[in-house]
Amino acid sequence: MKKVDCMTHKNIWIVAEHHQDIIQPVTKQLITKANQIKADKKVTVILFQTKEQKLEQQLLNYGPDEIITVCDDRLKEAPDSLIADLLSQLNHKFQPNSILFGATVIGRSISARLQAKLLTGLTADCLDLKFEENLLIQIKPSYGDNIMCEIVCPNNYPQMATVRPNVFMATEIQNKEAKIVIINDMNFIEDKRITVYEEIPLLSKSDSIANADRVIALGRGMSGKEHINKASRLATKLGAKIGVTRPLTDLPSFSVDDQIGQSGSSIAPKLLITLGVHGAVQFTTGITKSKYIVAINNNPKAPIFDIADYGFVGDAKSFVEALLKLIQ
Amino acid sequence: MSLNIVVCVKQVPVSNNLKIDPITKNMMRSSEPGIMNPFDQNAVEAALKLKERFDAKVTLLSMGPKNFEITLRQGLAMGADDAILLSSRGFGGADTLATGYVLSQAIKAIQNVNLVFFGRQSIDADTGQVGPIVAELLDWPQVTYISQIHPIDEKSIEAVRLMEHMQQSIKVKLPAVFTVRSELNVPRYPSPRSIMLSYQKEIKVWDEHSFELDLNRIGIQGSPTVVRKVWNPTKVDKETELLGEDPERAARKLLHVLRARDII
Repeated sequence: MKKVDCMTHKNIWIVAEHHQDIIQPVTKQLITKANQIKADKKVTVILFQTKEQKLEQQLLNYGPDEIITVCDDRLKEAPDSLIADLLSQLNHKFQPNSILFGATVIGRSISARLQAKLLTGLTADCLDLKFEENLLIQIKPSYGDNIMCEIVCPNNYPQMATVRPNVFMATEIQNKEAKIVIINDMNFIEDKRITVYEEIPLLSKSDSIANADRVIALGRGMSGKEHINKASRLATKLGAKIGVTRPLTDLPSFSVDDQIGQSGSSIAPKLLITLGVHGAVQFTTGITKSKYIVAINNNPKAPIFDIADYGFVGDAKSFVEALLKLIQ
Repeated sequence: MSLNIVVCVKQVPVSNNLKIDPITKNMMRSSEPGIMNPFDQNAVEAALKLKERFDAKVTLLSMGPKNFEITLRQGLAMGADDAILLSSRGFGGADTLATGYVLSQAIKAIQNVNLVFFGRQSIDADTGQVGPIVAELLDWPQVTYISQIHPIDEKSIEAVRLMEHMQQSIKVKLPAVFTVRSELNVPRYPSPRSIMLSYQKEIKVWDEHSFELDLNRIGIQGSPTVVRKVWNPTKVDKETELLGEDPERAARKLLHVLRARDII
């Protein structure tokens, strides 16, 4: 499978995501990754912002070749359909090779709408990307446990993918010039049927585990109420956030937003302590970027020990109690 | 005008013990018993809540093999009025685009639909793409990842969309496509009586000739993405330093190394 090589379709687009005037980490991570795999292609960031935002400054340090920006106050609180429509117009004008989004609520919602407009392929939640000439190879986990897929979109442009935050590391580049293109002839088709009338910022839990330096992960072996209380006390003492495996999301104290792993959040802490976590693949794909992993489980054969730096085989509750006593 | 609601549901495997067809590389679903995707149960519940308040009809719609009837039966027992299964070999091997196309054409064929619900994503493929694709193909507004629904009347609804860093309050005029989060509601359990009654309801089965379809846009030929390779990820095992058997000594040792490495 090889895409026809030609002068167009040479740009890798990254659709920038920002919140409260801050470019989100996943956008920076995608710029670094795209620079590593681009070969003869160019890395272009697409930035939708209001007239006053001037967010391109935050992108320049990560070394994109080009920033295409649309500055318009109608972009404030814009519905998905408007952003998808503007991206579709830009796509027809510039014909990029591929369009990458963060696998976030907004990235997933806009990319899929755009996919249906452009009638092309979109791969969700990629863990890795590479190119074979113009063909984008998209690697993602699928069908729950144990399976990785390599997905391609051989006959259509653009090739689209969403990428899970924190699977790549963002790196700053000094002294790289980027071409900034300002587009102001876009056709804004406002949809009167839908109005975003309020936005309230949240300190969401999924955000805090995804960006936390220290995380304590609880598995089925720590699902009792008393166990959770003890783990919470330890978390407070260590300045850690609590994340859970999928079975614990059914408990009233937790939801999918607290879940670590394939269908939850990927985390990249300096320290991860797993308590009573067995270590199924759909969990461990979310923790591979952790610097130090400490695993506590009473089953010496639990796969979590295969990826742990430090291990304790035994009762997680007694271990937590011992730690609590020592950090008094 | 009354509400004519379609809830799109998917059956997902109970276990992770999946077989992959070595040639087509698709999941061999038929050997697996399944359950209704958990987020789709929230979608059915949301539709039934609206039905309690307004004059509404709730139709379940699914695409898959015949055994997806298990899931449709479950939704009927919860209280849905009608169920349609889109089932044919021709629909097989569809990616999200081909699936969204078939569902959107079926929704057109049902006629006068003004609200379509989806779960935020399936727990097997985890894409969350099909809802927005259907919204685009119907040219309707979409509200995804909904955590609250406040109906104003039968023509307009206010919804809260829960995102990573904020929540949006959105007002939308129907028709529209909604995808819902588990925070929205707690799905009801069907009573034994309603389970029994659900067996008296007929599940309609439609194939590619039952409604208007461009056959080039369904199944494998309508799917722009190709699964080129499937494998089991190889793990690189780390050297794990074991902390001993006594919890207190182990805890002491751990704190020592973590402090030495300036981690805590």
